[in-house]
Amino acid sequence: MIGGLFIYNHKGEVLISRVYRDDIGRNAVDAFRVNVIHARQQVRSPVTNIARTSFFHVKRSNIWLAAVTKQNVNAAMVFEFLYKMCDVMTAYFGKISEENIKNNFVLIYELLDEILDFGYPQNSETGALKTFITQQGIKSQTKEEQSQITSQVTGQIGWRREGIKYRRNELFLDVLESVNLLMSPQGSQVLSAHVSGRVVMKSYLSGMPECKFGMNDKIVIDKQGKGTADETSKSSGKQSIAIDDCTFHQCVRLSKFDSERSISFIPPDGEYELMRYRTTKDIILPFRVIPLVREVGRTKLEVKVVIKSNFKPSLLAQKIEVRIPTPLNTSGVQVICMKGKAKYKASENAIVWKIKRMAGMKESQISAEIELLPTNDKKKWARPPISMNFEVPFAPSGLKVRYLKVFEPKLNYSDHDVIKWVRYIGRSGIYETRC
Amino acid sequence: MPYLGSEETVKELKRALSNPNVQSDRLRYRNVILRVIRFMTQGLDMAPLFMEMVKASATVDIVQKKLVYLFMCSYATLKPDLALLAINTLLKDCADPNPMVRGLALRNMCNLRMPGVSEYIQQPILSGLRDKASYVRRAAVLGCAKMQNLQPDVEIDGAVVNELYGLLRDQDPVVMVNCLRALEEILKKEGGVVINKPIAHHLLNRMKDLDVWGQSEVLTFLLRYRPRCQSELFDILNLLDNFLGSSHSGVVAATTRLFLSLGSALPAVQSGVLERARGPLLAACNAQSRELRFVALCHVQQVLRSLPGHFGAHYKKFFCSYSEPNYIKFRKMEILVELVNDENVGTVLEELRGYCTDVSPELAQAAIFAIGRVGQTYSEKCLSILTGLLELKQEQITSAVVQTFRDLVWLCPQCSESVCASIAGCEEHIQDSEGKQALVWLLGVHGEQIPGSPYVLEEFIDALKTEQSPAVKLELLTATVRLFLSRPAETQDMLGRLLTFCIEEECDMSVRDRALFCYRLLQCGVEEAHRVLGGPKSDPSLGVIAGRPEEPINSWAGDFNTLAPVYSREDWAALTATTGGSPSLIPLVTGGAAQADLGSAEEAEAAGSAAAAAAPAAPSPPGPSEELCLVSGPPLSPELFERRWLALEPSRRVSLDWPGGDCLPETLQAALQLVNIQALALSRPHARPWKAYLYAHSLGTVVLAELLRDTDAGGLQVTLKQDPEREEALSSFLTVLKTVMQTLGNSSASLSSHD
Repeated sequence: MIGGLFIYNHKGEVLISRVYRDDIGRNAVDAFRVNVIHARQQVRSPVTNIARTSFFHVKRSNIWLAAVTKQNVNAAMVFEFLYKMCDVMTAYFGKISEENIKNNFVLIYELLDEILDFGYPQNSETGALKTFITQQGIKSQTKEEQSQITSQVTGQIGWRREGIKYRRNELFLDVLESVNLLMSPQGSQVLSAHVSGRVVMKSYLSGMPECKFGMNDKIVIDKQGKGTADETSKSSGKQSIAIDDCTFHQCVRLSKFDSERSISFIPPDGEYELMRYRTTKDIILPFRVIPLVREVGRTKLEVKVVIKSNFKPSLLAQKIEVRIPTPLNTSGVQVICMKGKAKYKASENAIVWKIKRMAGMKESQISAEIELLPTNDKKKWARPPISMNFEVPFAPSGLKVRYLKVFEPKLNYSDHDVIKWVRYIGRSGIYETRC
Repeated sequence: MPYLGSEETVKELKRALSNPNVQSDRLRYRNVILRVIRFMTQGLDMAPLFMEMVKASATVDIVQKKLVYLFMCSYATLKPDLALLAINTLLKDCADPNPMVRGLALRNMCNLRMPGVSEYIQQPILSGLRDKASYVRRAAVLGCAKMQNLQPDVEIDGAVVNELYGLLRDQDPVVMVNCLRALEEILKKEGGVVINKPIAHHLLNRMKDLDVWGQSEVLTFLLRYRPRCQSELFDILNLLDNFLGSSHSGVVAATTRLFLSLGSALPAVQSGVLERARGPLLAACNAQSRELRFVALCHVQQVLRSLPGHFGAHYKKFFCSYSEPNYIKFRKMEILVELVNDENVGTVLEELRGYCTDVSPELAQAAIFAIGRVGQTYSEKCLSILTGLLELKQEQITSAVVQTFRDLVWLCPQCSESVCASIAGCEEHIQDSEGKQALVWLLGVHGEQIPGSPYVLEEFIDALKTEQSPAVKLELLTATVRLFLSRPAETQDMLGRLLTFCIEEECDMSVRDRALFCYRLLQCGVEEAHRVLGGPKSDPSLGVIAGRPEEPINSWAGDFNTLAPVYSREDWAALTATTGGSPSLIPLVTGGAAQADLGSAEEAEAAGSAAAAAAPAAPSPPGPSEELCLVSGPPLSPELFERRWLALEPSRRVSLDWPGGDCLPETLQAALQLVNIQALALSRPHARPWKAYLYAHSLGTVVLAELLRDTDAGGLQVTLKQDPEREEALSSFLTVLKTVMQTLGNSSASLSSHD
């Protein structure tokens, strides 16, 4: 149970404060500001205990969101709630920034009123919330809308209301993955790598459709392989992937997944996250980074970094950014790169190398001479890892969508009439190579 | 400018709100209200506008209504009389055909925190419970809890409780969960909502309809249910098995906790559950959001307390990433140390060494200490890494390494040789006092193995005048005397100088005393000094080498998925401590004699000595007949006291002499507490009749007592009740009470004669 919710800007000014329970006083708002936002040292823990009150905070860009409680609550749940709150706000007005919050101040109070009552979460699905949040809010509503509210909140399926109609039935499916890597120096050994992915769907379907989603999950493919012929299992065996763990939106029938490993569901209307998964085996690492650092005397460093793209030549990676850290006492940098643009950013202590596009199976290289100021500081430079950002049009885990079928027995459209769009995007998560 | 000229702003807003032109223009009106709310958020006192805002609530604009309700709920406690004006509008809205308006009005009416509102909200709540729209029912159900919260002393309305139990069968899942939440709060004093078999089974069947918040909460409520037989238990486990794979880590954790609790008697089930929960837990440790990662890591640590090898194969998951915040890195390092085994020790140490040169000095030190802990088992590998770190010649690193050396040498004597060989030259790079202490200790205890030790100590002694920390000086004194015992020729001269300085010039008393102590010890002769100072140089038994005893899972299963694992132990202890103490009707001093004023302190002391004389209290065994042994027991709540009092027959009625004078309730309570009698409630000193209610635990029974004094002249009527009956306890209680009264009488008589 949550006693109150506060939103602050980076200076610690209160943007939103909503108290749900009597045991949280106005001084709680100040206590958090003084003890956490204005504290001298770094944040020690996302959960802070001040005078027997627990403060859970999350930071989005430079906005602090804090949930306060005096009870012994379930920490994971409170954080999940704060994330959900952020998601809902983002769905309503985009990025969470000071300006957006100030502009949508009424809306946020409205949301807070509906999402929590007496500190208990009530309704947090963006789609369902839309019925209650009335920015134009005029009392006179049509009869139809009124009955909609009633059916919405009494319906058995909490995530979809009845009587949705679209002229064009469309489905958008995005496989969004973020690939994380920690590589040992010289690119020789993968210390850890995992892909965390999400299947995000946007559905604009009429009625109460039943959907079935299939992918190249190893367990399913192997099972089918056994049933039919050996050669199919051999040929498809390579393309199937082993999913370490996966979790689903509440609309997915988990019992069916457990027994048959098939994913079937009645989709919510609009955008939602169907599934989240994680893989650690046979990850396609889109880029390899090979750093070479040589210290020439006490005042000079030579850095050479080679990046190799490791995917089909027909595909293009985008928004590539390599960040090469430089020592604090750098006085000047000369950079030569074959491709893209590179710049030394003194304020960030790094050379930032940007390449707009790069095809697969290519190689590119940057070399830099870093001049150092002589210092009497004996501290050795810690050599932070080289990090990388990129976006590739495939799924680094190897996940493929095999089918997505729609059945709506009551209305007269079939699977073929639905227009379906599938897209794969692989992004870098924490993609680091030590040097 | 919100903090300046707030009066001006309030005046201006007031004018705008009451301007008929503004009122007629909906948008302008709403904008003014918006500004009021904005100032309220910034902490400005907007209470003077209450009247105008209440007027603004009579509108058809829902947004405006919501804003005004928000305002009213914040200030209603300050202006209860004006808030009552708004009730009419709210009541009217509660009957609106639109369910949204009904729900909104009902919810906000219950949110008004002021006395007297409950009589108005009772009826709307009751009709709200039977509303056809679930949106209204949701608000009404929580409204019941809010009403109870508003007036905690009022007796619980049985009809409402029954209605809520009935609504558990509501078809709307949120209404159902809200019922549980409301019942839990209403019945808090009676131990919360009752989960019997039909309710538990009903909840289990509804689980899949709930949203994640509901699921997590229902799982927590189910902790209260104990299945009758094993087959039922396994049915429940099967039914809920899916939730271990939920996408919300909160639900996963709640399920794990429930399973651990259900399987508390079946170790096989528990280990199976943890096995199944490992995947989701590891996934949460690598979650996108760092806060969840942190919480998951805390829980991993908890699991490791019982199953040290549980995550052994996945140690690489706990390697730190450069961009992670420190609080995650600290936890990960702690976990890594736990996971070290023969196969991975090389990789883990290599990884930890990487962190030793981190930009954050705290993190670097923590990494070095972590290596030290690994070193208690794998000393050789760690020593070579630590020695390597010394070559970096950095202040914090050297200091941390030397401290680690000291602990290692103490726990693993086999390390001492290589440690002694490597610490030469460290003194140049140590600036902080902890590091200095560690180095000086090493030089003193292992001085004979370190060739340059006297000269290093001499440098410290020469710099004594500029040394700030008394702790370093204390350590220096002990170390020099120790070294003197093993290498007298080289040390004698400097020891003399050190002692002279510390005895004659030092201002810090503890240092001076230690110096005098050393001096006198040396006067007793070298053998004697040897015997006193030359203790063992190491104590391997203190180490945690062979693995600590594994705690049983049940020792922490109850705390799983609460705040306990997230807070450090000290924080948690501070949070949970001092929740006891007897509740009281009028404010009483609970701390005993210490807080009482001067006069009563004397009295309390007198009472204390009397009690001490009369009652050889706690340790005496519950002997026969006249032995006095009241013990402090669990506190009774006023309600419980009342119920017992009414239920029991008086065991004895006695009349005592009133000692004379009036005594302050604080004094009396303090005096009674000294003899383990708890005072629940006392009348004010001059009230007639004067009453006091007391209770005490003795010989396994509870004695309840009422003291009654009708008139000034009369004596004190004491009525005693007891549960269960026990004659000895009763008489011992009376004796103690008499003694206290007498002592109080004496001291207050002497006081009044002073006046």
